[in-house]
Amino acid sequence: MADYGHELEFGSFITPTAGDAANVVRLAQVSERAGLDLATFQDHPYQGRFLDTWTLLSFVAARTERIRVAANVHNLPLRPPAVLARSAASLDLLSGGRVELGLGSGAFWDAIEAMGGRRFRPGQAVDALAEAIDVIRAVWDTEAAERLVVDGEYYSLDGAKRGPAPAHDIQIWVGAYKPRMLRLIARQADGWLPSLGYAKSDQELADSNARIDDAAAEAGRDPREIRRLLNIGTLPGGLQDWAERLAGLALEHGFATFIVGSDDDDVLTAFGEEVAPTVREIVARERG
Amino acid sequence: MDYGHPLRFGLALTDHAAVARARLAEDLGLDVVAVTDPRTGEAGPEGAGVLEPWTLLAWVAGTTERIGLAAHLIEHPDRSAAVFARAAASLDLLSGGRLETGLAARHAPALAEAVEVVRALWDTGEPGPAHVDGEHHALRGAQRGPAPAHEVALWLGADHADADDDALLELVAEHADGWWSATSRPDELAARNAAIDVAARAAGRDPREVRRLVVLTAPDTVAERVDAVPVGSEPVASEPVDTESVDPVAIERIDADAWRHELVALALEHGVSTFLLDTDDDDLVRVFAQRVVPAVREAVASARAAAGVVVGVPAPRRLREQRREGIDYGAVPAGLDAIEPGHARYGDVRSNYLRGGRPGIVLLPRDSGEVAAALGFARAQDVPLGVRSGGHGISGRSTNDGGVVIDLSRLDDVEILDPASRLVRVGAGARWARVAAVLEPHGLAVTSGDSGGVGVGGLATAGGIGWYARKHGLTIDRVRAVDLVLADGTAVRASASENPELFWGMRGAGGNLGAATSFEIEAHPAQPLGFAQLVFDASDVAGFLERWGAVVETSPRDVTSFLVMGRPRAGQPVVAQVMVAVDSSDPRTVIEHLNPFAQVAPLLDQAVQIMPYRSIIVPAGGPHRGEGEPVSRSSLVRHMSPEVAAAAERVIMTGATFFFQVRSVGGAVSDVPPDETAYAHRAAGFSLTAMGVSRGSLDPRWDELHQHADGLYLSFETDPRPERLLDAFPPPTLARLRGLKDHYDPDDVFSANFAVGSARTGHLA
Repeated sequence: MADYGHELEFGSFITPTAGDAANVVRLAQVSERAGLDLATFQDHPYQGRFLDTWTLLSFVAARTERIRVAANVHNLPLRPPAVLARSAASLDLLSGGRVELGLGSGAFWDAIEAMGGRRFRPGQAVDALAEAIDVIRAVWDTEAAERLVVDGEYYSLDGAKRGPAPAHDIQIWVGAYKPRMLRLIARQADGWLPSLGYAKSDQELADSNARIDDAAAEAGRDPREIRRLLNIGTLPGGLQDWAERLAGLALEHGFATFIVGSDDDDVLTAFGEEVAPTVREIVARERG
Repeated sequence: MDYGHPLRFGLALTDHAAVARARLAEDLGLDVVAVTDPRTGEAGPEGAGVLEPWTLLAWVAGTTERIGLAAHLIEHPDRSAAVFARAAASLDLLSGGRLETGLAARHAPALAEAVEVVRALWDTGEPGPAHVDGEHHALRGAQRGPAPAHEVALWLGADHADADDDALLELVAEHADGWWSATSRPDELAARNAAIDVAARAAGRDPREVRRLVVLTAPDTVAERVDAVPVGSEPVASEPVDTESVDPVAIERIDADAWRHELVALALEHGVSTFLLDTDDDDLVRVFAQRVVPAVREAVASARAAAGVVVGVPAPRRLREQRREGIDYGAVPAGLDAIEPGHARYGDVRSNYLRGGRPGIVLLPRDSGEVAAALGFARAQDVPLGVRSGGHGISGRSTNDGGVVIDLSRLDDVEILDPASRLVRVGAGARWARVAAVLEPHGLAVTSGDSGGVGVGGLATAGGIGWYARKHGLTIDRVRAVDLVLADGTAVRASASENPELFWGMRGAGGNLGAATSFEIEAHPAQPLGFAQLVFDASDVAGFLERWGAVVETSPRDVTSFLVMGRPRAGQPVVAQVMVAVDSSDPRTVIEHLNPFAQVAPLLDQAVQIMPYRSIIVPAGGPHRGEGEPVSRSSLVRHMSPEVAAAAERVIMTGATFFFQVRSVGGAVSDVPPDETAYAHRAAGFSLTAMGVSRGSLDPRWDELHQHADGLYLSFETDPRPERLLDAFPPPTLARLRGLKDHYDPDDVFSANFAVGSARTGHLA
């Protein structure tokens, strides 16, 4: 499978430096002015030098007009899913549907434990993430008539009220690399969000996509239901080289969202104003 | 019982209209809006159909500018106290210090642990990770931070009125900055206030440390209740009010007089100082803000004036306990921002770049008047004084242990006075990274040091050996005037025509003579310049240093070069990193000037770029977090002679230094006559610096090298031996400085850094 035909989106990945909070917000506004679709922030709640990501997303959403916000990605072991679901739905309502949900199963277990969180083995973390997605979707599902009961090994709800329902269908994107997680994405998620820097080769990205596609088909889902997103850094060469590389990743590997990690006004502006339109143009031309 | 707290009025936000109502509250001049967990009967952050309160508050923070923000959320296993602490600090930082926050107890012991977790994570002044051994909330070596932007008041209370039990009230009395009362009934308030006051005294606290808050509901019930309770205050005069914005029906419906009486009684009889109105009726909000609040303020103010009640909130015990001897904390001039040990921001201001500090108080004046006030305060305290601009100084003498630090970082304006003459005015507390960033779009720069984190004041009074040194001289050579505050608080200006002798001393020994507040500096034209980073095999250390020095001295003045070597590693070649700045945007010219450097030794790696000056200096970074005492030495030498190079090789190869740096001086620096400024070492071609682990290992080796030196650069010297003073200031310079000292600082107020002593006594301070 090559191109899934998703509309292209472009975003920023901004360091949530606590010591320069005003600048973090400003960089999100720079992203919006540059025409980017998304402003995203890492979530490492054990990190004392960073702003709390949920608080930051809420504040940034209030100080912007159009751009969507998301964590890239939430640390689930320190973000109880029912609270996260209500928080995300609340912000989605407040912001007019500008919130998406990036989830990760957690890493840095020593640091999570240091915060009073629970340490999971790798397999447990995957299971917990699967349960968490069920919890989140169940909380959002205010149409359902039956009692909200989740009897999970990691997360349980027994008759909690549902809601609020978000303003739009909040996308659940999962950052992951391992086969079990990819299968989970195929079954439960709306998007796969890896980082280009972690992939050894384009072939590895293609293999992972194929794994998701196969598992999605097995679960009775169309692989196109799963958006492929990619965290990238600034790429070598000029802006044209950069755009051509991204267009290649879109056309050959189906990536449709590109999120650049940078805290530099010039890079964010060039990415939004020059790279993104060029990628869109190339991809539109090739798609015909 | 009136505790004398300042009165504050606001709204409790509950539903979807909260966002608009928060803005209404801000427009009406109310003080605070608060969110609480939904009253669904379910404990904790669960709750249907309504907005999650923390998200709502963060959104409200983003959609308002001024109003205070408060949250009172129920302690719950699904609400990690650790994540809550970081979230609260983050919202305080994002909102510009507008947050206060609270936790409501389901269960007092769990709340006590949550409070401990929150305070531990906020306390970035404490070194090392945080541990809290709790059953419900624990930290096991968690990173501290972020610290909030200001002292975030922590309100504690019960999650419903019947839960204000003795255990909870004791917890409030011991740990809270405020009690979030679940009741507003006067009889219940009286009993519970009394319980808190007794427990507070038993815990060594002043009951006035605990502010008292009530949530008010609809006023018709208020009116009923007020009849039952005698009100002991003066009748409240009617206030003129903008009735246009209030529905007249609403006014009729609400008995505003009775409401005022009740609030006045709550304030004066029951010590309530924060009133939150819980309503979804905007008309009621307007009546409250326009007809009730002003009258209550006035009535309470006049009653307090009559009774001689002093309005304020005393420092909490946890801060008082950390106060240092010899400082009269109560005497800090009003309005002057002060940070004490235990304050949220203390961790950001106590230390310097390389030196740890534990000052007893840090004062942050905003203008020269406040600098004078801070100096007046500092002089009255029997403790050391440090004056800090950026805090980057290697010796770190601008912080101390138990003393006063005057931190000038608020004096950070950077302004172009006259583009034609390139005259700029720069505040002493600005950092050079910002100066470079502001000047760059105008095609200007001021040569500084190599780090953008260095403050203007320290560098521009000591020297300033930067990337344009050979072309444009020292930073002090570009200074045309200095505004400073003298030890007696007088603000003076020193320039070639005003107080010229003082102007002479401020350029090279400024830290001895006053607190500089701003500088007028003649910037120089700046274009993107060539910057090379070259890595050499410097195994032939002395030969390498000599050859590099020779290339520097024969290069045109457009070329300035710095060199860094570390501690040699067994089995690996000795490596030197050479940085070369070439003041040209033309790649061919840059390469031409770099070629001689490439011949100095085998080149292991190289990178050359044309870049703006602001990109060459190291970014400013965050607050300084130095610990311990730095060990560094400095020598200024004329040439990299065989003797100097051989001595340097011995220092390097014995491993006595982990960081050895040489900066080229010479060029334009040497054009200035030695007696033109208090920086006298104009013949020197090179500034040598080494940082070591201990005095014991570095000093003997460096002393050998220093025999070949002409002097030292005081900003890089930490050796406390008295002979260093004469290295910094040769006898004629020192004599003049002592004359200035006796005139401008006879009591030796500015004695922390290379104190010159007195001409009268010849005494080395």
